[in-house]
Amino acid sequence: MTTAAIKNTGIKKRRDIVFPIVNTCILILLCFTTLYPVLNTVAYSFNDGLDAVKGGIGLWPRVWSTESYASLMRDPAIYKAFWISFSKTILTTFLNLFWTGMLAYALSRREYVLRRFITLVLVFTMYINAGLIPNYLLISKTLGLKNTYWVYIIPTMFSCFNMIVIRTYIAGLPDALVESARIDGAGDLRSYFQIILPLCLPVMATVALFVAVGAWNSWFDTYLYNGSKKDLYSMQYLLKMKLATTQNQASNAANATADALAAAQKSKTTPVTVRAAITVVSAVPILIVYPFLQRYFVTGMALGSVKG
Amino acid sequence: MRKILAALLVLAMVLALVPAVMAEAPAPITVTVFKGDPGDQPTEDNKMYKKIADELGITFEIEFLAGDLNQTINLKIEDDKQPDLFDGGNSAEIIEAADVLIDYMEYISEEKTPNIWRHLHDTNVKLDQLLTEDGKLYIIPNYGVTYNRNIVSYNGPSFFLQKKVIEFNEYKVPKTINEYFDLIERYIAANPNADDGTPYTGFAILCEDWRRFCLINPVQHLMGRPNDGEVIVDVHDPEYATWTFVDKDYAKPYYKKLNEEFHKGLISPDTFVMNFEQYKNELANGHILGMFDQAWDFGEATSALQNEKRYPETFLPMPLLYEASDLEGIAMPSENWDLSEHYINAGVINRDRGFGIAKTADDPERLVQLVDTLLSDEWQIALQWGIEGEDWFTDENGRMNMTKEQYEQRSDSEWVRANKADAIFTSAPKKAGTMDNGNSWSPDLQPEIRDANLSDYDKALYEKLGIKQIEELFSEPIELAPYGEAWQIDKGPIDTDYQKWLQLQVEWLPKIISGSEADFDANWAAFTAEMAPYSEIYANFMHEEILKQVYPERYQ
Amino acid sequence: MTARSISNNAVKPARKKGFFRTLGKQWQLMIMSVPMLLYVLLFNYAPLWGWVTAFQDYQAKKGMFGSPWVGLDNFKWLFGNNDFLLSIRNTLAMSLINLVFGTVSAVLLAVLLNEVRNKTFKRSVQTITYLPHFLSMVIVVNMAQNLFSSNGAINDLLLGVGLVKEPVFFLGKGEYFWWLVGVINVWKEVGWGTIIYIAAMTSIDPSLYEAAAIDGAGRFQRILHVTLPGIKSTFMVLLIMNIGHLLEAGFEIQYLMRNGLVMKYSDTIDVFVMIYSFGGSRPHYAYGVAAGMFKSIVGIILLLGANRIAKLLDEETLI
Repeated sequence: MTTAAIKNTGIKKRRDIVFPIVNTCILILLCFTTLYPVLNTVAYSFNDGLDAVKGGIGLWPRVWSTESYASLMRDPAIYKAFWISFSKTILTTFLNLFWTGMLAYALSRREYVLRRFITLVLVFTMYINAGLIPNYLLISKTLGLKNTYWVYIIPTMFSCFNMIVIRTYIAGLPDALVESARIDGAGDLRSYFQIILPLCLPVMATVALFVAVGAWNSWFDTYLYNGSKKDLYSMQYLLKMKLATTQNQASNAANATADALAAAQKSKTTPVTVRAAITVVSAVPILIVYPFLQRYFVTGMALGSVKG
Repeated sequence: MRKILAALLVLAMVLALVPAVMAEAPAPITVTVFKGDPGDQPTEDNKMYKKIADELGITFEIEFLAGDLNQTINLKIEDDKQPDLFDGGNSAEIIEAADVLIDYMEYISEEKTPNIWRHLHDTNVKLDQLLTEDGKLYIIPNYGVTYNRNIVSYNGPSFFLQKKVIEFNEYKVPKTINEYFDLIERYIAANPNADDGTPYTGFAILCEDWRRFCLINPVQHLMGRPNDGEVIVDVHDPEYATWTFVDKDYAKPYYKKLNEEFHKGLISPDTFVMNFEQYKNELANGHILGMFDQAWDFGEATSALQNEKRYPETFLPMPLLYEASDLEGIAMPSENWDLSEHYINAGVINRDRGFGIAKTADDPERLVQLVDTLLSDEWQIALQWGIEGEDWFTDENGRMNMTKEQYEQRSDSEWVRANKADAIFTSAPKKAGTMDNGNSWSPDLQPEIRDANLSDYDKALYEKLGIKQIEELFSEPIELAPYGEAWQIDKGPIDTDYQKWLQLQVEWLPKIISGSEADFDANWAAFTAEMAPYSEIYANFMHEEILKQVYPERYQ
Repeated sequence: MTARSISNNAVKPARKKGFFRTLGKQWQLMIMSVPMLLYVLLFNYAPLWGWVTAFQDYQAKKGMFGSPWVGLDNFKWLFGNNDFLLSIRNTLAMSLINLVFGTVSAVLLAVLLNEVRNKTFKRSVQTITYLPHFLSMVIVVNMAQNLFSSNGAINDLLLGVGLVKEPVFFLGKGEYFWWLVGVINVWKEVGWGTIIYIAAMTSIDPSLYEAAAIDGAGRFQRILHVTLPGIKSTFMVLLIMNIGHLLEAGFEIQYLMRNGLVMKYSDTIDVFVMIYSFGGSRPHYAYGVAAGMFKSIVGIILLLGANRIAKLLDEETLI
């Protein structure tokens, strides 16, 4: 072997190694910057409330305490609220995927004569906003959904953004697939459910994530429509209320002279730790479900095999 | 057995006091309640709500505020049916303007509602001032109605200093703004760093969002007035001349002083950008020596310090004034202006705050009766103090008292959820001052209880300062002006101009304080010029509203 | 001319007939799409009657049917107000920064992740980077304010390295505000924004990579000629949609980070509306509704414009 040859292969090899190393370094660095605030929040959530008022907590609690979590969990209402949130998330996600997926398929068919009209009408919904009060009147008075469970489901069945995302994905699939189904005599319903839908798992998983996270995190619907129905509180609403109550203890005193001041002074939890605990409590269920969805869009599917 | 007897006795007395309820046995009803601030739902077996349900036949379905207050209220108004008991928090004006509440005056009489009658006639209440222009009473104030003797309690605006700075000054408390900053300068010269090595911030000015009062409000107090919000009123003038003060010549010495201190390094530029969280951090670490604030605003930081027994780093309030020399050659608001200290007003009534009763309620009459019943002595004791023997006891002097344990559990939110009816109590009218037997209506102000809960450090400090209670650092409260405190006036009709007026101050004052000393006069002139049109609108509006309060007959 | 119109007339009925015949044949597509069309007409379009408020002096007491009409007064007030005009500038500046940096960072991260061979590592990185999405803005802004304050970590770093002599007053200088918001948004949302591109990459035919490798394409050429074209349609569609959202720069982050010293740069349309429309004790809904109407209409114009340009360039379009 001549030195030149060694050198040559060396360069080639190095090129193949350099990129993965640099890439890995960049990604690890990115992980640190995004992980830090998360771990910091977890540290705050396990810190003593009064001590946390001083700030300056890093990645580990300074004075260990689980009181912030305990204060959330002690209220039996939270368990009921969890089930409300859980069930509405599942239902909303399912209905959303069902309708949005079909719609996306229909609007991806270039031969569909209503395609342009419907697309236009739907796309505009992303930009027009009638304002809060008319929407409120529609849902609470006209449709009578106030103080019902269905107010969580019915107004959230469709999102144009998600439809576009799915449609774009479908448009990227080889046309031949649908055409071949057509030749076999399949109608659009059958070709969507039997051929297109299975191919759309990655994008469906993505949209499911978007919808589920949205439904899980929403508290505004409870606030608008079910604020006076304790049995229908969603978990996010309840958690938000816990935080607001903790925050309120101090400012309440504006009215109350000494009474409320005394109350604020001795409470064991403070807004900063309660807020951190709430963040963790609401994020954990999503993190548990996440890997199951992530499988589909990170790993992807072997399109080639379907084609073959 | 004794308990049952006692309960029966109370029940009998209540029934005797409320003939209307006795006439028809109280059929159980559910009352919907909206609270204009966030709160915890009471437990299912809450002691006090159970008592109300058992004795008065009323259970509550309470909704607490979760989102934006104004928005929520407006949606409730759009509904076909409003909450039976409707508390609008700090925006009750919107409800009053929407005409959805009953007029209490139609239901109140000496025979039917004796407790409300006495509440509005035999106390510090001036009924005329609570009425709307067309003579209606939508809301009975939730705080400040004083029976018998007023107990002064301080929880409001002031300049503050860490107590250890007062120790350093050999227990001499500054009286003027010059003495105050001079002391801070001397302290920092002697001790530049806090215990953890961080350099001290001599003076902090919180400017975040609605807490801008720390930046805007001090001048009126330096001028010898209590908290009128953002105007100065000449209370000796029968026409109650009213001015904005923040852009007047007599505000200039204060901001000039801040400008100087900024360049001496006492005030950090970060003070203008810090949020409330960071402010509390700094206070709780003992990094800030002094500030202007309201005592209720930073309770959390104080408790964090107390929790670690760092009492010398907690804060002592001090009512500062200008020195006459500061104002030399500067026109005062009026001739013979009284430049003596008046930080505390006597008996401020929390006007327009509390429950209104919805017109759509099934039985408004019964709700008025409920309010009346809850205002009876027996129920007031139950709501404020609790149940005798469980929540308080009668001590050897025959006075109402609480053990340390009984007192401390009242600030445990879990205990409150199970034992107090705070959601109703805080918005319902209540008695303040003293009972006929001399006890304080509020347990927090009962002298025995206050003394017992004072820390040893504070006791020693107070002794050195020659005071028994913190209120003694202030002058005697002055008589409340006939219009109340001007910050209570609803600025709704001039909202957009008022908001712009506020924004201008938040924008300019930090710029003026942190600008170079050479530019001070130019900055000040530019600031006042921009403010002028809005100040005029605001001052004129406030003046008009004050006159409406003082001379309602002129506007009828 | 006449011949043309005649032929047009002649064609029309036939075309119409054809239209309905085709529609009849497409009944399955209609089943799939018409229910949602009716749904949005009810939930999104029907409440638009609320826009009448923009032409009223809305008073809660009188409601939307009884409040007095004021014509274009509310719009005149808005557009005669310097602070509102300033807020349009700030909104556009911040949403452009967000659009450019948000998109670039999300695509970049997606590409980098796509190059990772180790699946566990890929999934872990992907999971970790999207976590900040779940932190509330209050928490994030709080951390950012500590980080960027005069004695915060960023200034310590700059001073330590010797790049600056005095601490930089990041939070009190209007010039920095837009960029700070951009940095915070990217940092919080980059992982979340990447998901959509990663999903799009799954539809790329693996044989294209094999073919490229056989042709001797290097890593960068593969990215350039296979990966990026593979997500181009997603990229274009998102870009068009986001251009329509240029007047939406957010509210919460600006409201949390604003202070007197940066007000001229921090206030977006939504912040302006919050202060002047909802801030006081007597909300001026009409200003808010008028501003909302303005945003909607401009948004649709921008969207259609962007869509038209994309069509002219022969790129993927939204409509």
